[in-house]
Amino acid sequence: MRHTLFKILALFFVAYTSAQNIDISGIIQDESGIPIPGVNILVKNTTKGSVSDFDGNFTVTNLQVGSTLTFSFIGYITKELVVTNADYLTVTMQEDIAKLDEVVVIGYGSQTKKEVTGAVSIVSSKTIEALKPTRIEQALQGQVAGVNITTQSGSPGGATTISIRGVSTNGDSRPLILVDGNVIEDLSVLNPSDIENINILKDATAGIYGVRAANGVVLITTKTGRKEMPLTIEYNTYGGFQQTTREIPVLNATEYAILVNEAFAAGGSTPPFTDLSILGKGTDWQDKVFQNAPVFNHNIAFKGGGKKSSYSYSASFLTQDGIVGGSKSNFNRFTNNLSYNLDFLDHFKLTSGLTLMRTQKRNLSENALGSVLFNALNMAPTFPVRDENGQYTIAEGLGNEVINPLAQTDDTFNRSKVMRLSGNAGLSYNFLDHFTAQANIQFNYSEVRSKVFSPIVNYGSGKVFNKDRSEVFEGLDYFRDYTFDAFIKYENKINDIHNINVLLGTSVFKTTGEFTGAKGFDIKDNKLINASIAEANDVENINRALGRNPTFDSRLLSYFARAQYDYKGKYLISGVIRRDGSTKFGPANKFGYFPSGSIGWVASDESFLENSAMIDFLKLRASYGVLGNDRIPDFRFVSLLNGEGTYIFNDQLSFGSAAGAVANPEIRWEKQKTLDIGLDMRFLKNKIDVTVDYFKKRTEDLLVIPQVSAILGIGAPGSGPPVVNAGVVENEGFEFAIGYSGAINDNLKFSVKYNLTAIDNEVLSVSSDGGFLPGGSFGVGQDPPSRMEAGFPIGYFRGFKTNGIYQNQAQVDASATINDRVQAGDLIFEDVNNDGIIDEEDKVQIGSPIPEATMGINLSLDYKNFDFSAYAFASVGNEIVRNYERNQDLTNKSIYFLDRWTGQGTSNSSPRVTTGANSNNLFSDFYVEDGSFVRLQNVQLGYTFSKDAFKNSKISKLRLYASASNILTLTKYRGYDPTASSGAPIGGGIDQGFYPNPQTFLLGANLKF
Amino acid sequence: MKNLKLKNIAIALLLFVSCSDDFVNVDSQDQNSEDFFNSEQDYQKALIAAYDGLQSTYLNVMLGEIASDNTLSGGESATDVIGFQEIDDMIHTPNNANLRDLWSWMYGAVNRANFILEFQDKTDFSNKNNVIGQAKFLRAYYYFELVKWFGDVPFAVDKRIQFGDQFSIDRTPKAEIYAQMEEDLLFAAENLPYVQSEKGRVTKGAAQALLGKVYLFQDKFSEAASVLEDVINNGPYDLLTDYSTMFENDNENNIESVFEVQYSDLEGAGFGCLQCSEGNVAVGFNGIRNYTGPIFDSGFSFNVPTQEVVDEFEDGDVRKDVAILDIEAWASANSATFGVGFEHTGYFNRKYIARKGDLNTGDANLTNPNNYRAIRFADVLLMASEALNRGAISDTRALTYLNRVRSRATLPSVSFTGSNLTNAIYHERRVELVGEGHRFFDLVRTGRAAQEIDGFVSGKHEVFPIPLIEIQLSGNRWAQNPGY
Repeated sequence: MRHTLFKILALFFVAYTSAQNIDISGIIQDESGIPIPGVNILVKNTTKGSVSDFDGNFTVTNLQVGSTLTFSFIGYITKELVVTNADYLTVTMQEDIAKLDEVVVIGYGSQTKKEVTGAVSIVSSKTIEALKPTRIEQALQGQVAGVNITTQSGSPGGATTISIRGVSTNGDSRPLILVDGNVIEDLSVLNPSDIENINILKDATAGIYGVRAANGVVLITTKTGRKEMPLTIEYNTYGGFQQTTREIPVLNATEYAILVNEAFAAGGSTPPFTDLSILGKGTDWQDKVFQNAPVFNHNIAFKGGGKKSSYSYSASFLTQDGIVGGSKSNFNRFTNNLSYNLDFLDHFKLTSGLTLMRTQKRNLSENALGSVLFNALNMAPTFPVRDENGQYTIAEGLGNEVINPLAQTDDTFNRSKVMRLSGNAGLSYNFLDHFTAQANIQFNYSEVRSKVFSPIVNYGSGKVFNKDRSEVFEGLDYFRDYTFDAFIKYENKINDIHNINVLLGTSVFKTTGEFTGAKGFDIKDNKLINASIAEANDVENINRALGRNPTFDSRLLSYFARAQYDYKGKYLISGVIRRDGSTKFGPANKFGYFPSGSIGWVASDESFLENSAMIDFLKLRASYGVLGNDRIPDFRFVSLLNGEGTYIFNDQLSFGSAAGAVANPEIRWEKQKTLDIGLDMRFLKNKIDVTVDYFKKRTEDLLVIPQVSAILGIGAPGSGPPVVNAGVVENEGFEFAIGYSGAINDNLKFSVKYNLTAIDNEVLSVSSDGGFLPGGSFGVGQDPPSRMEAGFPIGYFRGFKTNGIYQNQAQVDASATINDRVQAGDLIFEDVNNDGIIDEEDKVQIGSPIPEATMGINLSLDYKNFDFSAYAFASVGNEIVRNYERNQDLTNKSIYFLDRWTGQGTSNSSPRVTTGANSNNLFSDFYVEDGSFVRLQNVQLGYTFSKDAFKNSKISKLRLYASASNILTLTKYRGYDPTASSGAPIGGGIDQGFYPNPQTFLLGANLKF
Repeated sequence: MKNLKLKNIAIALLLFVSCSDDFVNVDSQDQNSEDFFNSEQDYQKALIAAYDGLQSTYLNVMLGEIASDNTLSGGESATDVIGFQEIDDMIHTPNNANLRDLWSWMYGAVNRANFILEFQDKTDFSNKNNVIGQAKFLRAYYYFELVKWFGDVPFAVDKRIQFGDQFSIDRTPKAEIYAQMEEDLLFAAENLPYVQSEKGRVTKGAAQALLGKVYLFQDKFSEAASVLEDVINNGPYDLLTDYSTMFENDNENNIESVFEVQYSDLEGAGFGCLQCSEGNVAVGFNGIRNYTGPIFDSGFSFNVPTQEVVDEFEDGDVRKDVAILDIEAWASANSATFGVGFEHTGYFNRKYIARKGDLNTGDANLTNPNNYRAIRFADVLLMASEALNRGAISDTRALTYLNRVRSRATLPSVSFTGSNLTNAIYHERRVELVGEGHRFFDLVRTGRAAQEIDGFVSGKHEVFPIPLIEIQLSGNRWAQNPGY
């Protein structure tokens, strides 16, 4: 009896105390009863929480009765339950097909997809893994509306240019790229398999990043472990080979000889080939230069988490040889990634990460006059690779730049090694229920070591690549930067109706670095093994000759505030203001203010649409803001003596002090005013997903380095024009994306996604004097072919318009010609202004490197254990300048020359061949080609072994796959690769023997255990 | 509870640290140009930079020959450096890229000289007049080029032309510019020694010789004769006895050299910045196309002498084989091979073509170390002779100087007077100075250009057009030279 009384009393006591705090346990499962591990359980308005374990069980202790528990997990609709007692809970979570709760990273925080009022696109890790890119940018191509990727080179480790919603500045138009909050300039250092997702902010809502956001912001999140996750190990590997997509058809030895003979005769010289029958096909130089090159990648990742912590470690190794040059053009990358997150002391959260990466890159001369491919195209097919003595054949008579490309490859020795260490650490503190204070620090440290050895070589008389004296160059550059962010957030949901989010923060960014290098001569035995500065003669420090300081120090200081409000999740509004100060500008204009705002309306939550059978989700949104750009060289607001002033006294070099670029103390922020109106829609039970955006971006106060009067002294060595704010560029366009995912039956699921971007680019004004900026190069000694000029797209091509070929002398006499040497068989240049002479005034726009529209299509199919995916993208309306023809007396030519004019009526498309003086080499639309293309970028077929196969082993997943990239390109362009472009806003789209993107065939495996 | 709240806020604020606005005030590591000239060393460094502009005058030298009847443009083809081809044929327009380079490089150099003179009163030191004298010579040299090529040009004295000035500065009549040149050169002549400590620096003799030339160009014969005879009688110069060594790389800065532009092969160069090269770019451009053989090296076969100038040499003139290389004869005698470029005449400008033996630092065609003998004593003698003759001062002394030049060339003396002597002097100037960039302006200033140069139009081609883009970039306020 006393026992029972005691028990009753104890119960009461327990009950009394528990009336304040109880413990809850339960299980979480999906709609089919399968437990879900790793679900995040949070006690609302605190950081207290838990994670479900491998069997879906969870426990939350010390819980106040009446508090709310939220259950969230990616891919499932977040659930909320109010705790009324200590009963065992069974929580059923529903799959979120609409993915409306999908988290979108938006800058110093995140929102759900439903809440987002800006134009944000997401590329998930699933897509990235399917594409198997060696570089991240390849994973963005054709995936996201509004994002256009051009490869600067297909060589291993080659750079790419990302442009978001058009080219909006003539300077640096790269977007801001952040990896876990860390600023990254070069994406080749990132391993694609480490990426969780990529979020791209395309409109004014990127304004929270203030300066540098004008070109869009790419936010990359890397994979980490999760709490309550047992250790999983993932191993991915692939290997295969690459080959060129095409060889440009050029003349064989016999065709070549016929043409050369004809040209010499026309020019009044003796034809050099007397017996054509012995020539046969000759040497196919491209065939000799291209090879099949291997590529291999291994990646291993460890992930796991305990109750309060999570961790991950991954290591990967990539090696890729080049299709031109093999190992002389290869790229190796070795990365290590470590991350660790910890919740401690109830209210604190720690995140930390460390990356160590090493790359090594070798490359050959590419996309330039005299590059390896340029030489392979122009080399005479009548020459064998080696002569009778076994030496590489000399390119006799082919001008001063063309040399034997195989000799050139053999004689190229260069190597660039990068070691990079990056880290981040963040601390967040929850207090007073609704406040979070957070501070993060990120840093990068890189060392770039380059070495170039140029041996003594002689390629024939007069060749510009001849070297009498061997040379070695060793360079060592240091780059350091750090970013420090601190902010306070207030989040509150009042009465369950008003959702408020306020953020106040500051950010500090500093980047410094140093460039050093030395050049030495006379390498012993002319051998690579002896090539080092330590053993060379006449060593000179490269900084001494340049007269300028080899370090840089550039900083940004910002303050920002954001307020977001939504009413019942239906009416959304958000505003941002940011104040940035940059070291790039002088005291007059150092600071700028960048406001932006956005609104949204979830129309599908309204009563009139809530029960619609057709429309499941409809959101309208708009944003407007002012973003800034400060990407110009340092210290242009002050006049410095960093020019070059060198003379010779007593036969020695004397280094003096000379003015550098002309200063402009008035330079200020480039301002971009950007408007976006968008629509997100889902219908047919979330099967169809549509996003439409209209945007207009107007960049004012464009920072340009214009032409200025030479009487200012800009022609002196090391000097140059000032940076001025003088120009307006507008990009107006439209994005459309549609996706359909469905299942035909239980075994067959598929999804199709299509996106289209159409952009109209126009320069509205460019610094008034002279009215244009020239750029690019064509031929030898000719005027620059590209311009930035009011009324035209940026970087448009300007030259003569042609109108066929003169068929007879009478036709020549009857029309205006450029000089009196024009004869029958030459190109007809149009007298555009009808003034009877062909001159500068007759040059007009003959093309533009900017596409009118780009689109991408993605298809994926899942049938039982098989998965299939295909990705294609297309670009329409961009033009490319054909500039890989040397046009010398004895250089080879493309096969379109077989259609040349040889007499009246024989051709109206290709001019006559002659060694005599003629104007057919002047830049005209004869050299501008349509670069539109459709490319099947990736096809992949995979097979996942069923879980039963590995029931008794530790393996949880094994997938084998075969994939092919860049397997088909449909284009009219005659060059190697229509995606060729240097990426320069003025001067891009000119092909000088662009290293093509290879076709790759891979076999791979994903293993998880 | 309250304590807890305060503690929370305190911790939060601790995390919220930042920097003051000064964080983005960073000073450059490089010297600010407005804070310079604080010691003699500063002046000397700025002076070196002012000399640098001399090296880009290779273009003036080349074009001075191509524009005249001495040479043809040459090159690889009719479109190889279109600007050169047009000037050769007297069909050049205000859109000529090479004339724009010339204008641009000379103004770059003028501003460097004016930079020193703008701050000439800032700091005192013992050597100052020597430095200022050199700076003034250089300014005069560069303005002389601008005036010769373009006539009336924008003029700034003792201050740089700054960003914004280009919209208010006008073309100054050349008489005014000549007057300043004379003043500058007189100062230099007074304050510089005949011999400087370093080879390559401006000397008293150089200043006087240039002054004489400047007078001669204005037909100021007695002033010219007076200052040139001062050089002849008091300067440390003489004619080199062995003419064959005059232009060789192992006989630079010799006794006949009154002013020599220095070049070297110690530094690399590229086509991206021809004015930056420390080598003589003209030498590579003039060189023999695709040459293999002894003594010489390859080049781009520009600026090729005509048969007419070869025929101008008298028999027995030792200067002919030093000035002109007959490539066909040379090749067969020395088993050498060569390529044939555009407008191949069979001759090359032997004084200034590439030779073997230099370091061939990359780009070898742009780093030839051949110094440019800007003013030779022979030129001084001939200018004096011309001034004395045309100014009707003393045909006797004119003859003495003329015959000195002729006898060095192992030619017999002459005894002309009056206009016959004038013509003899003109002929002598042509053969003595062929290939050195003087011919075009000698013809123009003596009124003979129209009859000697094909396509030359009087009243137009005496000066070259101001680059159209330069007129536009300065606010479209300048009139163009007549006829263009």
